[in-house]
Amino acid sequence: MTHPAIAIRRLSKSYGQTEVLHGIDLEIARGATTCLIGPSGSGKSTLLRCIAFLEEATTGTILIDGQPLGFEEGADGRRIRLPPQRIRTVRSGIGMVFQQFNLWPHMTALGNVTEALVTVKGLVRAEAEARGMAQLRRVGLEARAKHYPSELSGGQQQRVAIARALALEPEILLFDEPTASLDPELTGEVLNVMRDLGEDGMTMVVVTHEIGFAATVGERIVFLDHGRVLLNGTPSELFAPPRHPRLTQFLETYLDRGAAMLLKPA
Amino acid sequence: MTAQLFELMLKAAGYTVVISAASIAIGLVIGILVCAAKLSPRPWLRWPASLFVSFFRGVPLLVQLLLIYNLLPAIGLTVPSIVAALIGLSLCTAAYQAENLRGGFQSVPRGLLEAADMAGLSPWQQFSRIRAPIALRLTVPALVNEAILILKASSLISVVGVIELTRTAQNLAASTYEPLLFYSVAGGLYLAINWLVAAGGSLTERALRRGRLA
Amino acid sequence: MSFDGSVILAALPAILSGLTVTLGIWVAATVLGIALGFVVAALRHFGPRPLGLSLRLVVEVLRGTPFLIQIFLLYFGGPFVGISLDPVPAGLLGLSVYAAAYFSEIFRAGFAAVPRGHVEAAQCVGLSQAQIVRRILIPEMTMLVLPQCVNMAVILVKETAVLSIIAVPEATAVISALGSQQYAFVESLFLLAIIYWGLVEACGRAGSALETRLSKFRFA
Repeated sequence: MTHPAIAIRRLSKSYGQTEVLHGIDLEIARGATTCLIGPSGSGKSTLLRCIAFLEEATTGTILIDGQPLGFEEGADGRRIRLPPQRIRTVRSGIGMVFQQFNLWPHMTALGNVTEALVTVKGLVRAEAEARGMAQLRRVGLEARAKHYPSELSGGQQQRVAIARALALEPEILLFDEPTASLDPELTGEVLNVMRDLGEDGMTMVVVTHEIGFAATVGERIVFLDHGRVLLNGTPSELFAPPRHPRLTQFLETYLDRGAAMLLKPA
Repeated sequence: MTAQLFELMLKAAGYTVVISAASIAIGLVIGILVCAAKLSPRPWLRWPASLFVSFFRGVPLLVQLLLIYNLLPAIGLTVPSIVAALIGLSLCTAAYQAENLRGGFQSVPRGLLEAADMAGLSPWQQFSRIRAPIALRLTVPALVNEAILILKASSLISVVGVIELTRTAQNLAASTYEPLLFYSVAGGLYLAINWLVAAGGSLTERALRRGRLA
Repeated sequence: MSFDGSVILAALPAILSGLTVTLGIWVAATVLGIALGFVVAALRHFGPRPLGLSLRLVVEVLRGTPFLIQIFLLYFGGPFVGISLDPVPAGLLGLSVYAAAYFSEIFRAGFAAVPRGHVEAAQCVGLSQAQIVRRILIPEMTMLVLPQCVNMAVILVKETAVLSIIAVPEATAVISALGSQQYAFVESLFLLAIIYWGLVEACGRAGSALETRLSKFRFA
């Protein structure tokens, strides 16, 4: 298996007349935590949603573990839409954690985690619940299994959402600004869970404004600007001086999110 | 008023409740279909559904009832007045319930469906496991409200000759020359029924509170 | 079933008089209902507690019983307590009181929905209680309650049809009477349905247009 976890080729995305991603080429390494950073409107969330196939790219292809996602390039270079069954198979290797948690409000924490195990994977309830409890334990929320989302704090809801994604045993986990809706005192618990996952060797792609987290947990940093990959490297390559002027400018607006320590003269 | 007459009024109130409940139930089924048609991407489904909703919400129930009561025999269908009344009430409440349901379905946040999509749920599973249960919960208060409206509106079927609570009060008022008494008792019974329905609605909402949108 | 257009043409004057009564009662009951409803809401909001509670009871009873029962009580029961009214005044009074109960609830919710901070801000710049009501509460409330008031006005158009049952010579009474004279019941009822449908749609559209025009005053 020599494929990268995700390979993106000449990916563009337009909404009407406005092109928000301009020919992105990017490879995401297996077993690593890759952080997508960049100013608002740089296209990082759109890129992540294209990888999740929640948005369809306008041109270009995405390969997940060597398998085309959604579209395949034909012999004549034209894109061919793949049958739904193949799309579903490829997507089943991808889990997603959303900014707004998106827990289903009418199900308990455990119900959220076991729902797809029962309805999609066809497990019997007892087995699904055993697996679900194991995932809740992993995010430290075993005791809250019977609580409904409305009874959980934002940080707890996001950890349940992570457990829900993990229960399906994905190869790749995508995080779309997972702490952006959280009060500052609750971001730590979510970032800690993510740090543990990274140490366990999970392939993760994280869109985040938490520069401190990106610099310490991220193994690769991708800096997007105006819909293009401007920089792509390890944290030390990117953050150590001499730094790209756009990156410095960006970091200066995020001093309170852990960017200050990167900017202070060493 | 004798105990015997009061019992008559109570029975009539029971009939009013049964007719209203049946109309609400039939109206819910039709309302679901109309709502589905209105949310459909196909214009030939959307368009008639919109017309249905607009007509039955735009015409007084009394006129609808008179129309159905007279139209059915005119096209060769002779049915008892209770059937005409049930059709009228059901179609009218269906139009309102379709709109309530549409509001509920459109209030389900998109992200919850994206999460279901990412978890691999099929479109039908997304609908039946996530979208519909959440939308129905959001619709409960409107449904309770609609039940009370229909209980009150059912008084109009007295006009097409159904002997429900209002018609019974009317008959007794005419034969005893005591309109104040019998209309007041009828009013009190409607009030009591509506309070019970409202209380039942509050209990249901409280039971569903834990599963509300955070 | 055959549709006979000449029947409608010959009866045009009668139809127009019925329509005039319907529109007259509707407009009058809406205006009276809004005025009375506003007074009730204001008394419940600012008045002494016992008064507020008794008004609440009256509103609850009016909202919890069918309009038909209310109109029967007034028209047939009224004479027993010294209120003998002809159909038109009875209908107008009954519909206005019924409307007032619903409008008062709309206004009460409107009062409650104006953010406290806006009133506090007015107090801080030195407005008197009366000025706060006139300059802050009423304008802000108008935007909040407008959609429901339009909705209620639409409901009232339809409720005027109920007055045909106590022989108010409005559109439903006149047109269905014509229908039975001419043995054209279905045709006349269809005409009636179309008339109400048009009225309701027009009222709804006018309401939306008004909302759009006033939308610059809405909460940011």
